[in-house]
Amino acid sequence: MTATRHVERGVRVELSGVRKRYDGHEVLRGVDLVVEPGSLVAILGQSGTGKSVALRQIVGLERPDAGRIVVGGVPIERYVAMPPGEKPFRIAMVFQNAALLASLTVAENVGLRLREHGTLPPREIREATRRVLEQVELAGTEDKYPTELSGGMRKRVAIARALAVDPELILYDEPTADLDPILTEQIGSLIARIRDTRGATQMFVTHNVPLARAVADRIAVLDQGRIAEYLTPEELPASRYPLTQEFLRAAGLEHGSGGV
Amino acid sequence: MASEAVGARPRDPGILGRLGGGILDTLQILGEVATLLVAAVRAVPRSRPDRQRLVAQLVRIGTDTLPIGALLSLFVGMVLVVQSADQLREVSQEVLGPIVGLAMTKELGPVMMAFLLAGRAGSAMAAELGSMTIYDEVNALRTLDVDPVRFLVTPRLIASALALPMLVLYSDFIGVVGGAAIVGIDPGITLSVRGYFERMLEWVDFSDIVVGLVKGFVFGVIASIVPCAFGLRTRGGAEGVASSTTSAVVWSFILILVFDFLIVRLSFTLT
Repeated sequence: MTATRHVERGVRVELSGVRKRYDGHEVLRGVDLVVEPGSLVAILGQSGTGKSVALRQIVGLERPDAGRIVVGGVPIERYVAMPPGEKPFRIAMVFQNAALLASLTVAENVGLRLREHGTLPPREIREATRRVLEQVELAGTEDKYPTELSGGMRKRVAIARALAVDPELILYDEPTADLDPILTEQIGSLIARIRDTRGATQMFVTHNVPLARAVADRIAVLDQGRIAEYLTPEELPASRYPLTQEFLRAAGLEHGSGGV
Repeated sequence: MASEAVGARPRDPGILGRLGGGILDTLQILGEVATLLVAAVRAVPRSRPDRQRLVAQLVRIGTDTLPIGALLSLFVGMVLVVQSADQLREVSQEVLGPIVGLAMTKELGPVMMAFLLAGRAGSAMAAELGSMTIYDEVNALRTLDVDPVRFLVTPRLIASALALPMLVLYSDFIGVVGGAAIVGIDPGITLSVRGYFERMLEWVDFSDIVVGLVKGFVFGVIASIVPCAFGLRTRGGAEGVASSTTSAVVWSFILILVFDFLIVRLSFTLT
């Protein structure tokens, strides 16, 4: 996907030797990864290999047992401990099931952070909410509740909620899980558009090879708790790594063709 | 093969091991509840913009409990009079008013309403927060720099602590009226309704009502903070939510009774 980048305001993300264990089972076994500012990286891996776990460490929801995560030059544990107003940049996460608050309307969900931190008057919050909903093509849904929306719409509202924070880093956990190919393409295009227009660093975990190839700048293949390969989409078809080859074969892309 | 199977079997911790594990679990739960209470109270000054959520919780906890609370209090007041009148037939039915008045204000009103709140609104709180936890809604709040304790727990705590004393007064009134109704219509009771209220006013002090209100406040805190703590520690899927909900209600009941005893002891010590 060719991109015309207008902005470059993302942050650098560095993971070195990140390990995480649950109930005696080591999920992450020393993850090393560097994501350059403003780039869009897909983390490709099989289900249950720790892709989502890696994102939770990066956003600071969980602490790694070992290793170091530095975002925008700040160790993540220090970033998490900072008061919201003093954080030098913002990180947003789009969860796999959207994680919208069921008791709030679309507009209330999207404007939640702005409202809770009370930095803007209500009229400006409404305006900011309307703007990001327009960006995800959901204008007019402000007063609906999450239960009134389809799965694809809920995902887009979750993306709008992330955008409303005006983040320098956006993490997506399986953004196209459970979506049909048309909605998958729409979400993929939206993520690419956010990269092109906002310049935020973005990372998404997926097992959808065509999506990763179509929108990502780099693809990290996570296998057995480690980053096995870190490739450009162009390099992917030539990979000799067994898991990557298996992914390409399963997606019908062994000859290097295909879209989202 | 057989030796492998035996080797894989987890070691039985024995009676002492299970007892020790149970004590540690109990201490951990109490610690989590106490920590959450401190965090929720510390968030009270920052909860001023949450008036809308507070009112919503007050309606759910208070207003929605009124019909069932009335029914319960009415029948308990009536049963108290019927039971006591029968026992007192040979002695004097003059004390029917004080019995109902003191029982309702000091004990039955607060405990009944607290159990009702814990069973009804408390279980709903645990289930709601449990679902929000397992579906990452609580984590979503954290990533948005919104404190889940201030956003979810503090409004419930304030609403419950405010609503329960009001529900106690309401229960006291309905229970006393229920007792009066039986005094008025039961041909086996020789005491007049006027006599019932006069004797009651002679015996029931303002301090008795205050004890009931203090209990209402403390039980209101318990009936909200315990379910919130269990909701936020939920793990697993629907089964985890069900387990948290059940545990929240059981633990609320236990703590309400423990604090009931402590408040009664303290009130006798102070007077």
